[in-house]
Amino acid sequence: MLKSHVKFHSTAGKRLVLIVDDEQVNRELLGFIVSSDFDVLYAASGEEAMQVLKENAQHISLVLLDLMMPGMDGFDVMRIMRNDSKYEEIPILVLTNEEKAEVESLRLGASDFIIKPFRNPEVIIARMQKAIELFEDRRIIESTEREPLTGLFIKNYFYRYAEQYDQYHSDTEMDAVALDISHFHLINEMYGRDAGDGVLRHLGAFLKDVIERTNGLACRLEADKFLAYLPCGTENYEEMFLKINEHFNSYSDINVRVRGGIYKSVDKELDIERRFDRAMQAVNQIKSDFTKSFSYYDITKHEREVYAERLISEFDTAIESRQFKVYYQPKYNVQGDEPVLTSAEALVRWNHPELGMVSPGLFIPLFEKNGLIQKLDYHIWARVAEDVRGWKERFGRSVPVSVNVSRVDLYHHDLVTYLQKILAENSLSTKEMYLEITESAYTENSDQIVYVIDLLRNKGFEIEMDDFGTGYSSLNMLADIPVDILKLDMKFVQNLRTNQKQETLVRLIMDIAKYLKMRVVAEGVEEKSQVRFLKEVGCNIIQGYYFSKPLPEEEFAQLLQRCLTVSQK
Amino acid sequence: MITIDALKELGADTEEGLTRCMNNEAFYLRLVGIALQDANFAKLRADIEAGNLDAAFESAHALKGMLGNVSLTNVETPVVKITEALRAKDQDADYAEWLTQMETELEKLRAL
Repeated sequence: MLKSHVKFHSTAGKRLVLIVDDEQVNRELLGFIVSSDFDVLYAASGEEAMQVLKENAQHISLVLLDLMMPGMDGFDVMRIMRNDSKYEEIPILVLTNEEKAEVESLRLGASDFIIKPFRNPEVIIARMQKAIELFEDRRIIESTEREPLTGLFIKNYFYRYAEQYDQYHSDTEMDAVALDISHFHLINEMYGRDAGDGVLRHLGAFLKDVIERTNGLACRLEADKFLAYLPCGTENYEEMFLKINEHFNSYSDINVRVRGGIYKSVDKELDIERRFDRAMQAVNQIKSDFTKSFSYYDITKHEREVYAERLISEFDTAIESRQFKVYYQPKYNVQGDEPVLTSAEALVRWNHPELGMVSPGLFIPLFEKNGLIQKLDYHIWARVAEDVRGWKERFGRSVPVSVNVSRVDLYHHDLVTYLQKILAENSLSTKEMYLEITESAYTENSDQIVYVIDLLRNKGFEIEMDDFGTGYSSLNMLADIPVDILKLDMKFVQNLRTNQKQETLVRLIMDIAKYLKMRVVAEGVEEKSQVRFLKEVGCNIIQGYYFSKPLPEEEFAQLLQRCLTVSQK
Repeated sequence: MITIDALKELGADTEEGLTRCMNNEAFYLRLVGIALQDANFAKLRADIEAGNLDAAFESAHALKGMLGNVSLTNVETPVVKITEALRAKDQDADYAEWLTQMETELEKLRAL
């Protein structure tokens, strides 16, 4: 994929190289040797080289540099080039007859050497091409792993490099840091997109400084959220956040406030993303506290319990004042030429008035543990039923929604009657609300669960097995349990090393589903290539960021309306 | 007139020099012409006579690389000796002898 040497002979023309040598004979000879493959610029001194670079930096693919020159020598030129972002990526080949100089030049960032007196011309050209290829390949890789606005890593690469870092520095204690710009959308709205981008770039540049100093990693997670992974003790966070905010105050009259959350000395047993969830939680804790610019993830058990206690004690209020928001992630049918929005999955979010968005990853396990989850589920189902009815009335179209059914719900005596009641209240049928049950619930394989699910199916409900593949279901178990739809999470598939293995697994699942007369819905789909492949193997219902993230009800209704207008045309 | 045969006669490794120039005779002879006019020859003598051995090393070193590229072995040989003695900061080396040798060979070439 990255074979840039193909381009050497393409219509793109010859690469431009700069030859720097104070000896005219050497300049002319080298120029003569390479002129069949390259366009050449010359400089007879270090000073002249810097001048030529200044004028042509973006066009020069390689510098051939003599080390010993009167005045500014080759080492000086390398030092300047490697410390200036305009030139730092241009590869340098050193011209030398001094073996001792080689180590020092490598240290300064030379890619390779050409020994004087010059030997085989073909070898010289091959070395030049290799240096250029490596540099161009690296640039292609970097342009995909970095986010263009700030030049920081994108999320996936950041997590991957962080894991790699841990692998090679298992003894280094690390801090996970999350940064968030308060009311960033207001900056965009009040001062325009360019000003907003300027703020993001500034914060990006600040973080670049930090990681350079601390030897850490950083990324822009999304919109106005940034993450950094820093060795413990390399950064004074109080000073850091003071400096960031001072920096923004001096940079313009836009009122920018950056908040940080730090999970100190992370538990490396914890999944890398969970570590940053904790840092993010620390940010959210001070969301409405204007006296603080950063806070630490509260590691003490006591404090954690207090936080959990608070969530639990405010649960009833949250239900009553509708702090739980239902988000809808659309599912598309891709069978035809154009994808058609057919249904959605309901997801719960908690928008706490003081704590901000509390992560579902935090409150759901908590509520599962103490049984409150059942009350939350019932509440969400009722809200979903209202929404489905609302859309039906407004748009004259039924859009079935999948809701989550927790394991404890299956043990609740009035489950079936409650579901029937809310459907009846909203004049809906059992075909308008799908029930998602997580795979791990099945693995208990208790008679009670099979009994309840059978009962639900007899009443006409469609049962979806959520997170298929992440639990422990074996194939023979799949044949015995009552389920209509398998939900296959592509993120799980992605964990397989090679594309070929991923494809084989998905094909296998499709075959089994077909044999057992189950349908398959793919979720977590993010890429066009995945859509194409899934379509090819007959998996036609697709959910994921490729089409849309989960949307609040209002936005989902707007989307429905747009889809309807289009399909009427 | 400078010719390949004449250079060979005086001890230049013309075969190697020509290969380096991809057997382009005219180009090779042009480079030899430029090499013979190099200002570092005069500078090397001046620096050594003034006892400025660091500056002399730079000139000698530059000449060595350049002469190697045109394969003027007869001039290169004394220059290599000077370069290595200067690198070793040898105060007592017979620089005068080598300089004379260098200039003698140089004059023979320039007389072509």
